[in-house]
Amino acid sequence: MVDLVYFQLLSAALFIIGLYGVMARRSAVLIVMSIELMLNAVNINLIAAASHMEGTGNFANFDGQLIAIFIITVAAAEVGLALAIILRIYRNRSTVNVDEINLMKW
Amino acid sequence: MEWAWLIPVFSFAAAPMIVIFGRFLPGKGAILSILAIGGGFAVFWFVLDSWLGANAGTSGCFTSENTGMLTCDYERSWFNAGVAGAVGSVSLHWGILIDPLTIAMLGLVTFVALMVQVYSLAYMKGDPRFGWYFAVHSLFAAAMLTLVLADNFLMLYVAWELVGICSYLLIGFWHERPAAREAAKKAFIVTRIGDVGLLIGILLIWREVGTFSMLDAFEAVRTGAMSQGVTTVAAILLFLGAMGKSAQVPFHVWLPDAMEGPTPVSALIHAATMVIAGVFLVARTFPLFEAYDADPLIVVAIVGLVTALGAATIALVATDLKRILAYSTISHLGLMMLSLGAFGYTAAIFHLMAHGFSKALLFLGAGSVLHSTEFQETGEMGGLRKVMPVTAIVFSIGALSLGGIPILAGFWSKDEILVAVNDNRNVTFIVLTLFTALLSAIYMGRAMFLVFFGPLKDQNSHAHESPILMTLPMILLGVLALGFGLISFNWPGSFGGIGTFIFFGHGESFHFEVWLGALSIIMAVGAFIAAYMIYVRNSFSLEGVRARNSGFLKIVENKYYFDEVYQWTIDRVVLVFSRFIAYFDRAIVNDIIVNGPADATRKFGILIRLHVTGHVYTYTLAMAIGSVGLGLFVWLRVV
Repeated sequence: MVDLVYFQLLSAALFIIGLYGVMARRSAVLIVMSIELMLNAVNINLIAAASHMEGTGNFANFDGQLIAIFIITVAAAEVGLALAIILRIYRNRSTVNVDEINLMKW
Repeated sequence: MEWAWLIPVFSFAAAPMIVIFGRFLPGKGAILSILAIGGGFAVFWFVLDSWLGANAGTSGCFTSENTGMLTCDYERSWFNAGVAGAVGSVSLHWGILIDPLTIAMLGLVTFVALMVQVYSLAYMKGDPRFGWYFAVHSLFAAAMLTLVLADNFLMLYVAWELVGICSYLLIGFWHERPAAREAAKKAFIVTRIGDVGLLIGILLIWREVGTFSMLDAFEAVRTGAMSQGVTTVAAILLFLGAMGKSAQVPFHVWLPDAMEGPTPVSALIHAATMVIAGVFLVARTFPLFEAYDADPLIVVAIVGLVTALGAATIALVATDLKRILAYSTISHLGLMMLSLGAFGYTAAIFHLMAHGFSKALLFLGAGSVLHSTEFQETGEMGGLRKVMPVTAIVFSIGALSLGGIPILAGFWSKDEILVAVNDNRNVTFIVLTLFTALLSAIYMGRAMFLVFFGPLKDQNSHAHESPILMTLPMILLGVLALGFGLISFNWPGSFGGIGTFIFFGHGESFHFEVWLGALSIIMAVGAFIAAYMIYVRNSFSLEGVRARNSGFLKIVENKYYFDEVYQWTIDRVVLVFSRFIAYFDRAIVNDIIVNGPADATRKFGILIRLHVTGHVYTYTLAMAIGSVGLGLFVWLRVV
């Protein structure tokens, strides 16, 4: 079995890339994609940790998988919602550039 | 007797009914008002009858150890403020207290109010607010009747203020006239100053005794539960309220101005309601005044004497007929207070009633004159007995009665006062009281002779006698002013004179100090003869006296400059102080305390809003740094 640390490195790398994407991208769609990337980085981390964990008794510990599935569900809903919002913004303002969507500031 | 509460309730019910249904009824609802007060007058006789038949065993009745009179108290619980029976909770009651003082007042108020209302039917005829006049009249009488029936201070205070507001409404009845508006405001505000004292006094008694019940308060004073200091202060505070209502110096200024109201209103205010409320209050709470060394009574006596003397001198030089009567009322109220201050409880109440009948009569007579001639200045009148004989006769009866001519009501009551003052106060008091009595006879004679005697002026040749609705009440009051004094004697039979009916401590039958009586008769008769010589015969002129005393005359004619002093005080002290307070309010309260925090909040907001850049990456960066910081913090804590 591959050592847990490699999974964690992969997860961390994906997370940082996602974070960079959120901070650096201007397009709202790309930001949403970057957030998805971060969520999946967390999923990898969770599942890796869960599969490396010693089961108690005859049953393996499913906590990690459980949370991962939960996250996938929430992420799906979140993407739907986020894209809908982005669509509305585009209809209204003909752009999805977050630098131009700055009405809610002082 | 427990049905005595019906007396005010009739009139209380009549007032709103006149306002709402009056327009559909004959006489715009005046009939309701008269029926209500007439019903009250009828119930008064039942109350008197059942009181005379009552004894200490009758339900609710007992012989009061505080006043010595048979007293009946009926009360119903109203509500509890706080948990019943718990410490600090107050239970409030409706209640009526019936003793001879109450009965005397009930009779006076219902009778005079009835007479005045009947009179008003004719006097106010054609007034656009005829119905409203009777509605307020009803409320006025109801408030006064509640005041005399109240068995606790709270009810008394409510009725007291109701009386005040009704007087405001009636004095300002013709509010199209600026003078009437001013007079109404003055009456209300000046009496309010005294009312503050009354309220504080009531609260002080409540704090000491724990209930508003008057009987409990008297009991607390008698048993010593209320200390001398508190009792004295409470009595003085109550007297402050009484001074305001009863127009005692220095709160007397509102009463002469109250002449701006319709004349029957003046009759009511001066005789049956309003001004006698103060005298009644002192009489009702007499156990507080008389307790311990009776120190407050000295104050009462001095204020009464100063008022009586000062007002009598002003009445002597006033030229407006109604103002002469107004100052005469103030003077006689002073005499009543003086009498109370000299332990003359019976005399004060007796004089209150005798004066009430006489003064109602005089005002109704004056109203009759004004109605017919449209003049108020005595200089414009004269010789009116030729055209209005009935008014002339009844007015003269009232004037002679107040002037103290024997067998008329005012003589006996004034004599009782003189006896009380002579017995209980020092020689200065009796001399000044006699002098006041003399002045009283002179100004009464002056008013009577100036108006009804001498040659008739051409401008008044069209004057005519008033209609029967106006003369009948005057005649009835005239009969009382004539004969009321006779109840002071111990007649053969069970009636032992008024002194065994209304008294404080123990009943006394009528007694007469021969030298005082003789002196007062000589003075009164002499004064009337002198007035006749001066004002009718012109036997001798007062010009010399006027010229020699022009300085003093000027002071008296300007009413001792009370109004000017008040005006100066308001302009130079009250308003200046108010302006300072207003400045304080603007500069400190508004600008610093209210606007200060608002300003600081706004400035702080301007400062911290800078972090809201509108750029997603700013927020993301902040979030990332925050998460890392939080992670580091937890990690460091764990390790």
